[in-house]
Amino acid sequence: MPNTAMKKKVLLMGKSGSGKTSMRSIIFANYIARDTQRLGATIDVEHSHVRFLGNLVLNLWDCGGQDTFMENYFTSQRDNIFRNVEVLIYVFDVESRELEKDMHYYQSCLEAILQNSPDAKIFCLVHKMDLVQEDQRDLIFKEREEDLRRLSRPLECACFRTSIWDETLYKAWSSIVYQLIPNVQQLEMNLRNFAQIIEADEVLLFERATFLVISHYQCKEQRDVHRFEKISNIIKQFKLSCSKLAASFQSMEVRNSNFAAFIDIFTSNTYVMVVMSDPSIPSAATLINIRNARKHFEKLERVDGPKHSLLMR
Amino acid sequence: MANTDSDSTHLLISEVDLEINPGPMNIQFDSSDLRSKRPFYIEPTNIVTVNDVIQRVSDHASAMNKRIHYYNRLTTPADKALIAPDHVVPAPEEYYVYSPLGSAYKLQSYTEGCGKNTSLVTIFMIWNTMMGTSILSIPWGIKQAGLTTGMCVIMVMGLLTLYCCYRVVKSRTMIPLLDTTTWEYPDVCRYYFGAFGQWSSLLFSLVSLIGAMIVYWVLMSNFLFNTGKFIFNFIHHVNDTDTVLSTNNSNPVICPSAGSDDHPDNGSMIFYTNDTGHQQFEKWWNKSRTVPFYLIGLLLPLLNFKSPSFFSKFNILGTLSVLYLIFLVTFKAVRLGFHLEFHWFTPTEFFVPEIRYQFPQLTGVLTLAFFIHNCIITLLKNNRNQENNVRDLCIAYMLVTLTYLYIGILVFASFPSPPLSKDCIEQNFLDNFPSSDTLSFIARIFLLFQMMTVYPLLGYLARVQLLGHVFGDIYPSIFHVLILNLFIVGAGVTMACFYPNIGGIIRYSGAACGLAFVFIYPSLIYIISLHQEERLTWPKLIFHVIIIILGLANLIVQFFM
Repeated sequence: MPNTAMKKKVLLMGKSGSGKTSMRSIIFANYIARDTQRLGATIDVEHSHVRFLGNLVLNLWDCGGQDTFMENYFTSQRDNIFRNVEVLIYVFDVESRELEKDMHYYQSCLEAILQNSPDAKIFCLVHKMDLVQEDQRDLIFKEREEDLRRLSRPLECACFRTSIWDETLYKAWSSIVYQLIPNVQQLEMNLRNFAQIIEADEVLLFERATFLVISHYQCKEQRDVHRFEKISNIIKQFKLSCSKLAASFQSMEVRNSNFAAFIDIFTSNTYVMVVMSDPSIPSAATLINIRNARKHFEKLERVDGPKHSLLMR
Repeated sequence: MANTDSDSTHLLISEVDLEINPGPMNIQFDSSDLRSKRPFYIEPTNIVTVNDVIQRVSDHASAMNKRIHYYNRLTTPADKALIAPDHVVPAPEEYYVYSPLGSAYKLQSYTEGCGKNTSLVTIFMIWNTMMGTSILSIPWGIKQAGLTTGMCVIMVMGLLTLYCCYRVVKSRTMIPLLDTTTWEYPDVCRYYFGAFGQWSSLLFSLVSLIGAMIVYWVLMSNFLFNTGKFIFNFIHHVNDTDTVLSTNNSNPVICPSAGSDDHPDNGSMIFYTNDTGHQQFEKWWNKSRTVPFYLIGLLLPLLNFKSPSFFSKFNILGTLSVLYLIFLVTFKAVRLGFHLEFHWFTPTEFFVPEIRYQFPQLTGVLTLAFFIHNCIITLLKNNRNQENNVRDLCIAYMLVTLTYLYIGILVFASFPSPPLSKDCIEQNFLDNFPSSDTLSFIARIFLLFQMMTVYPLLGYLARVQLLGHVFGDIYPSIFHVLILNLFIVGAGVTMACFYPNIGGIIRYSGAACGLAFVFIYPSLIYIISLHQEERLTWPKLIFHVIIIILGLANLIVQFFM
């Protein structure tokens, strides 16, 4: 039985100034709350209300506090912070000059995780990679990755290199979300069946809050590899505009003589996007198909049970 | 959106519109970071047939485009966090603009970054901004100092203020570790001197602004009075038979303050006539008793406008009036001829000695005449080739010095000295021409109109600086603004009635605000930054301390003259 009082957490941690707030703002389409008089850290507690993938709540913490206030607060609240954690995402600034310190703070976080939430998944993001010269990026990332893997034992961590100025951030978060879904292979198979039945060119499944692609099926090669991120950015931008009018985005249909695309709410935590290259098929038909598929997918989730499925809680 | 926090620093600027097309000069307060305004691709929309002939944006670039559009929505324009850094945006040569209908063209003349003004435009803008009403007092200043001394003082002051201006421009570059690209000079002062620096620079800036506004009111009353008198005399075909000393030919020059003592003449000329209509006019149209008040009705409403950008369209009038003055002075000089005699130390009946001890009055006037230090950074920011900044600044100062020298020397030299004494040169040299003189009538109308358009701009700047810093809001309520405007206008009216010596007002306010911005702050900041970098040597220290002492002396000695 899901315990709604104890929401599962996703911890986004890292040194102050490593880019967490910007990252959260970009991924979750929040306006950046800039507190001009930062007390040295982002104190981000349960008031955040950023939820995704069901009941996961995103918490931001600055690790490696600069002033004693933060240190004390952190250490006294440590158990509270690290309890009930589903995912730990730790952000490293690739330009940081204090590598030793960074690793030290990372290790202390890992210790706390080991004590309080040993089943948590760990992801490390080596961020701000755009500041590194292109020819050196792979090398530097590989070095860091080895160090981090070594340091993280016995826990397993997955490493990504990211930058907000290219597609790597979106891809990293999509990978993270993909790994958080337990029955993703089955989902993909069902998605493929669905797509083939309705003769769609491409079908995408997005996470509802972030429009990160959870899974997709395409029947032929598409030209633009960046299309997922572009769609996500376009829709998030549109959602921001909608929110200004106190309206919420629900569905969208885009059509011209070459194609028809439908974006609609799917299950309680996902959106689906269906692209049909045969524009002669009337919209109503596709929409009915989507509606029926919705019922099927929801049933699918219920079969798996709430413990395993992150799609519905 | 108007970025009002950055406009608290400008005195009188004509800044080119930041759009690609530099049209009429506007006082626009530019956004603090031009990088947030960079144009970017507009993608072609997918229309019916995708034409392969049209260049398409690369997928990578269009993804970046969407990213940047999206990130821009997440922050306020003032937040620099999500502005694309230079290394991720394509190089300027790769910018394309797409029309929604699909065709694309490359921007030929897109220039990245801050400046689109050529050197010529920058030099002109600096010259235009510096040319103020102090030009009217330069001949009087030369008279007070003596011709030789006057010329030397003008050149020395030009060089000194130029050096201090150079220090102001360089002051930003000596601040380590901080991004100072959007800073104006008061920000630099705040960095070095803390809140004291900020408040004192605000105070001195206000001194210069309000001093300028008082001078403007006095001059406007003067010009309005003379214009009205000219029109009245023209309509009623009255010939002035006034007792004021004047030359008896077709180029009359008058000496309004002859016969009275040092107390300045308020311009009431006595008409020997029995015409009651005339006397009525005399009573209601008086330079010091009534005309200043008539101006209130005209100008006080204009001061209350929220945004004066309408008035900035008339900026070109300033240039035209200076050019017209140059023409007028040349014309008069040709007609009157030169009247010069050189006596070194002793005054004669008609001439003044070459070297006089009252030359500090000229330095006071010149401090304001060469004053541009609180907005020079902004003016130079828009220079296309930033490496030419110093060269352009020197050229501009040279041109300004030449203009002042030209007008000053010509008026002084052509002043008809056998019948009139050189001592007659008025603090506003147009006062030496009778109100019936047509050419100077045109000059007065020109200047009157120009000043009426600049006055609201000065008022706006004063309001923004004072109210912005004290209340945090540049337009807290109509009452605050009204009270401030009444104070400023009241000061102007009072001066126009009781002390209409623009030379005096200019030299006091010039020396006071010049003390801070021209002499003390640039030198002190240079000394401090050198000391922090441990490059301070004794010669530099002594040189700059001398400059500071000169500034102080400049102010103190004004009170003894």
